[in-house]
Amino acid sequence: MKSKGLTEWLLAALAAIIFLIALGMVFFYAPREATMGDVQRIFYFHVASAWVGFFGFFITFLGGGLYLLRGGRRWDILALASAEVGLTFITMTLLTGMLWAKPVWGVYWTWEPRLIISAVQWALYMAYVMLRGSVGDAERGARFAAVYGVVAFVTVPLSWFAIRWWRTIHPVVFSGSGMTITPKMLTTLLVAIAAFTILYGILLRTRVHLEQERDHLAALRRTGDWEDGHAD
Amino acid sequence: MKTFGPRTALSGVNLRVEAGEWLTLVGPNGAGKTTLLRILATLALPTSGEVHLFGLNSRRRDTAIRRQLGFLSHRSLLYDDLTAAQNLAFYGRVYGVSDGPARSAVMLDRLHLAARQDDLVATYSRGMQQRLAVARALLHRPRLLLLDEPYTGLDLLAAESLTRLLAEINAAGCTILLSTHTLEGGAFLGRRTLVLRQGRVIHDAPLNNATAFAALYRRLVAGECSDTLPPPGVALPADGNALPAPTRDAPTEQGGALPFWRQIWAIVAKDLAAEMRTREILGAMFVFAVLALLIFSFALDLRGAAARAAAPGVLWCAIAFAGTLGLSRSLAREQHSGGLTGLLLAPLDPAAIFLGKALGNLLFMLTLEIVLLPLGTLLFDVSLLNLEMVGIFLMGTVGYAAVGTLLAAIAVNTRAREVLMPILLLPLVAPLLIAAVRATGGLLEGLGWAGIAVWRHWLVVYNLLIVAVSMLTFGYVVEDS
Repeated sequence: MKSKGLTEWLLAALAAIIFLIALGMVFFYAPREATMGDVQRIFYFHVASAWVGFFGFFITFLGGGLYLLRGGRRWDILALASAEVGLTFITMTLLTGMLWAKPVWGVYWTWEPRLIISAVQWALYMAYVMLRGSVGDAERGARFAAVYGVVAFVTVPLSWFAIRWWRTIHPVVFSGSGMTITPKMLTTLLVAIAAFTILYGILLRTRVHLEQERDHLAALRRTGDWEDGHAD
Repeated sequence: MKTFGPRTALSGVNLRVEAGEWLTLVGPNGAGKTTLLRILATLALPTSGEVHLFGLNSRRRDTAIRRQLGFLSHRSLLYDDLTAAQNLAFYGRVYGVSDGPARSAVMLDRLHLAARQDDLVATYSRGMQQRLAVARALLHRPRLLLLDEPYTGLDLLAAESLTRLLAEINAAGCTILLSTHTLEGGAFLGRRTLVLRQGRVIHDAPLNNATAFAALYRRLVAGECSDTLPPPGVALPADGNALPAPTRDAPTEQGGALPFWRQIWAIVAKDLAAEMRTREILGAMFVFAVLALLIFSFALDLRGAAARAAAPGVLWCAIAFAGTLGLSRSLAREQHSGGLTGLLLAPLDPAAIFLGKALGNLLFMLTLEIVLLPLGTLLFDVSLLNLEMVGIFLMGTVGYAAVGTLLAAIAVNTRAREVLMPILLLPLVAPLLIAAVRATGGLLEGLGWAGIAVWRHWLVVYNLLIVAVSMLTFGYVVEDS
């Protein structure tokens, strides 16, 4: 237990350090964008949270697929934990996107494809979480959620194709010919993505542990060990 | 062993049942009787351990196993919107019963239901539904009959009649496993009797004296005494649980597997028959879609050019919203009396079950569109009645019906089924709706078939992907439902 606690402290410290570095780079290292000004700096967190949001969905797909193929509660827990953590990040993506849109486009929300895709992604995560809470039987709930996670993930590439086919007013970060951001901006973005990915990993790990502890507690209660153990 | 999360439903159950044997299962509520029967019926898989039926591992859920199984569940596994005769005709078809109509007539007569065979099952009393459920379980002449509390809801005469029928088919070589809460009457005397408590077999011996057994049962269930297992005369095989191939010729239906497309058609025909009788799905979808068109029209003040511009979006929204109603109702009808479980028990390919349900739903939605397209033409003053437009609506509806069928099968098993269906479905069909609306709009703008190629291709890719994934995952959804 001690080593487990130590690992968590070390991971939290690592996340704090890399986040401080990312913050420092966002405000003091990355250059001021010529057209949008300082508001563009939100882009580093916006893109990083979007990346983690989509990555979380991939892990949910992976966990769900493995649960269907192999069974095993651990895959189900992984899928569930990743969906909940991913939902948090995709919500952050939508909020930071709106904060960014107002000064740049003059509106908090515009029906631009990538914003719609993020909103659809958010809706998929919400549907997944609601589905989990709406099935009484735990095994069946896990199965349904796994199927939903797999099918939902299949629609993600289709959404991405939509980006190329629709006219877009979204800033193009990566164009076909090369990057439209400067090397310093790119470095900052990569550090921010690393910071968010580590944070995702820590939150995922914590959520997985929480679910495992819940299972453990439920098993103890069922066998009566918990009551016996606390009777004295 | 069978566990549900932290709960253990069955543990250490190890038994061998000989062909032609009658085994009675007793035990308090929650002892694991139903779970054991569901595992034997291949409706649930053991978490660990193996079950062999007719020499085959039941984990494979082989159609050869299911064709030889008859299962009477707590739920009737009948369709309320069909008559008794239609229910038996449907099950006769999916089991490939060669003399289906004659066999159905015999079963209806034997269970005293012939006079009411053309009445809807929804009008039957509990006892009549139970008798019809017995007829369904016996229709295909199973070699192994699993009965979960078959006497529930039966009056005295019906119970006696059922006992006689069971004794008869048992004497003809059919193996019977029956769970019950009462051992009164002579039906169970001399029969092998198992007592389950907290998922474990705590007694396994022939029943010689019902009164003496009742006293023993109370002590066993209260945990005041423990029986010695294995019981005398019953050998537990070293290789685990086994039900060997019968040594006697049993009167089992030996027909071959129903061809894949006939499996699909049997399900579609059943759904169409139920809908022809009730018109519930089409009625609800049509009224809802028309209401949606009207509300959009006056809420957005759709006139002239605005109406023509908004027509594709409004039409697809009306179809999508009405579609969620139809899909939900279609699967709720299936789920109401355990119809999906009935389909899973039958020797049907899960992919055929999915395609049958999806095709039925597609036909309902296309029927709705046959009415909506002329209506949209009138309301929005646009040209919707041409082959290209019909092609786009067909392409858009295929994917919607496919993924909708999968999700409706999930939603009907949830607590919030009424609200969850659109929440689950609409985010998944967003790319489909975007493409369908764009393609419809493109045709209305005069871009022609070639001008909307990108959206057509997208619809094809979406449909192929979603139908394939839905077919692959549908088995997991309906498993143990």
